[in-house]
Amino acid sequence: MAQRRARHHLPAFVVFILLVAGLPTFGAALSWPEIESRAKGQTVDWFMWGGFPSTNAYVNGYVAPRIKELYGITLRQVPVKDIAEVVSKLLEEKQAGKSAGGEVDLMWINGENFRTCKRHGLLYGPFADLLPQQKLVDWSKPSVKNDFGEPVEGLESPWGSAQVVMIYDSRRTPNPPQTMGALLDWVRKNPGRFTYPAPPDFTGSVFVRHVFYHVAGDVAAWQGHFDESRFEAAAAGTYKVLKDLAPFLWRQGKTYPENPIRLSQLLADNEVDFAISYHPAEASKMIHDGLYPNTVRTFVFEEGTIANTHFVAIPFNASDKEGALVVANFLISPEAQLKKADPTVWGDFPAIDLGRLDKDWQEKFAGLPRGVATLPNDVLQKHQLPEPPSEILIRLEKGWDTYVLKGR
Amino acid sequence: MITRTTTAISEARTRAARRPTAPFGLLAPAAAVVVLLFGGSLALGLVQSLGYLPAAGMSELTVAHFIRVLGDPDFFISLGLTFYIALTSTVVACTISVAAALALNALAGRSRIIYFVFQIPLTVPHLVIAVAVVFMLAPNGLLSRLMLNLGLVDSSAAFPLLVNDRWGVGIMAAYVWKEVPFISLMVLAVLRGAGSDLLDVGRTLKAGRWQRFRHITLPIIFPSLGAACLIVFAYTFGAFEVPYLLGQTYPLMLPVWAYKSYSDVDLLSRPEGIATGLLIAAVVTAAVALAQSLTQSARRRGVVL
Repeated sequence: MAQRRARHHLPAFVVFILLVAGLPTFGAALSWPEIESRAKGQTVDWFMWGGFPSTNAYVNGYVAPRIKELYGITLRQVPVKDIAEVVSKLLEEKQAGKSAGGEVDLMWINGENFRTCKRHGLLYGPFADLLPQQKLVDWSKPSVKNDFGEPVEGLESPWGSAQVVMIYDSRRTPNPPQTMGALLDWVRKNPGRFTYPAPPDFTGSVFVRHVFYHVAGDVAAWQGHFDESRFEAAAAGTYKVLKDLAPFLWRQGKTYPENPIRLSQLLADNEVDFAISYHPAEASKMIHDGLYPNTVRTFVFEEGTIANTHFVAIPFNASDKEGALVVANFLISPEAQLKKADPTVWGDFPAIDLGRLDKDWQEKFAGLPRGVATLPNDVLQKHQLPEPPSEILIRLEKGWDTYVLKGR
Repeated sequence: MITRTTTAISEARTRAARRPTAPFGLLAPAAAVVVLLFGGSLALGLVQSLGYLPAAGMSELTVAHFIRVLGDPDFFISLGLTFYIALTSTVVACTISVAAALALNALAGRSRIIYFVFQIPLTVPHLVIAVAVVFMLAPNGLLSRLMLNLGLVDSSAAFPLLVNDRWGVGIMAAYVWKEVPFISLMVLAVLRGAGSDLLDVGRTLKAGRWQRFRHITLPIIFPSLGAACLIVFAYTFGAFEVPYLLGQTYPLMLPVWAYKSYSDVDLLSRPEGIATGLLIAAVVTAAVALAQSLTQSARRRGVVL
């Protein structure tokens, strides 16, 4: 009886298999060597924020030629001001039914935009498991498993990790405040010498989240589900602190630098005494490039600073998916990660778990020169705070705009 | 006889009626492109601003987004700021341009180099000019450092705020710098074509400098001056990059506001961004139409301008 029923379903089953095989979900069907051979000759257009000269130099000066050499793929960096522009574009294409032949093959994406893309089905994948180098990634780490509280589920591949540091000039400010509370006091005592980029700028937004954690007095409570009324209270407190702080900021808080680059110029020009960076080695890199004096140093707050992992993703309609997969795989290879971690190149921290590498590679990573302004790894790791879910981030950005900037 | 005349007239009429079709036919390809691309995207924009965005799960047509934009108290602050900056920079650029064109017309015969130098800013994008303004006018810019070295100010803090400032000085400086050569060259072309005969006549009739300018030069250059100013006004009103770099964080000029809403992480803000963009287009169109009708009626009343 059961057998008969099974036979009864056989034709439907065959049709189903044929349908599935005919779908363009080649990724699961293709082996990695097949993907590599298909990728050969493709041109991968990588859309990313173009604001870091060191990132741009790493991508164009190292990744692109290596990819060409190893896989015969042409990598083109497409710098954008905000990856949200690309998300808008993808949404438009989805709406227009353009499900193939898209211009964007790979994108460097942040948590809140990842969330938008994931919720609207704008991403190709899950693909992370296809990448051979994925074995070097520790997916059990909360900051890798979730991107701003949004489960990654293989729809992104990690590229690097970052942590917020405060930058100052030790010649001008020998004893910088060591906690957020002390920093706020310092700002009130030194009017006009501090500012932060205006959210929704990425760095400005993370500064507001540090104030939020400081006001709330708790970090763990905001992971996962959180209590709405508690959030409202903490958020209102955050806006009040920042609004009251505004008259003591650079230009009385009437205007804010639009991004961290402008802020670092202000520090270099002696207009303010602190800059903020989401990249622990950026200050060393800037000293190396002659943009900061070599007395510039960094510190993290005693209570910790926010750390996260940054990722790349492939749009649903990318024209060169195989090429994009090969590039994403190369990005987490030990070779590419080592080059990226070199403070004279970029100094971005690895996305891979160094413990999974063999001795030789581990020694190479250990032997990297450490920039004079970069904090030691153990100091950074002991002071890491998680990002809150992107929902909190978005609400804080909106609230900052209404209550702090516009003063309602 | 009468019939022949009638036939002749009707033939002439037919010819007259047919004649305009030829240029229209020739214009059709270009017009089609404009209508399709320009009109098409305007229409698409309108549809999206009415909240039709199925990919984001919005498929009901509503004017709520326009109402939300118009109901935001900041909208009128931004609108006022945008008007103020666009109008001021146009008027300043226009005044300087007329003076520059007159001077160039007198000089250019002698020196071609001045004429050439004047054309250089035309080739430079607005973005580059905006960055140059930051380097020059910022509190730690070239100008401030120069004045500090010359002992004209005590510290960079004493240097007035000219970038990201409340009155949009930086934005207007960038626009004036960029638009003066454009307007000047438009005016200069007319001045050169007009020659100096009329001015000579004026001189023989004992017209003073101002009288010659007011009653001879100005009426000659006015049509192209007016057109150039309208172009500049419309551009300044709707352009994004200069106010983005040189403006304050708040209040924003309308184009920056539109961009900010459009690129918001929250997809629900997108229709608002497009609605703001369409409102900018509407204001510019209305301004151009108003300016045209004012000049027309002035001409009809016999005002020489």
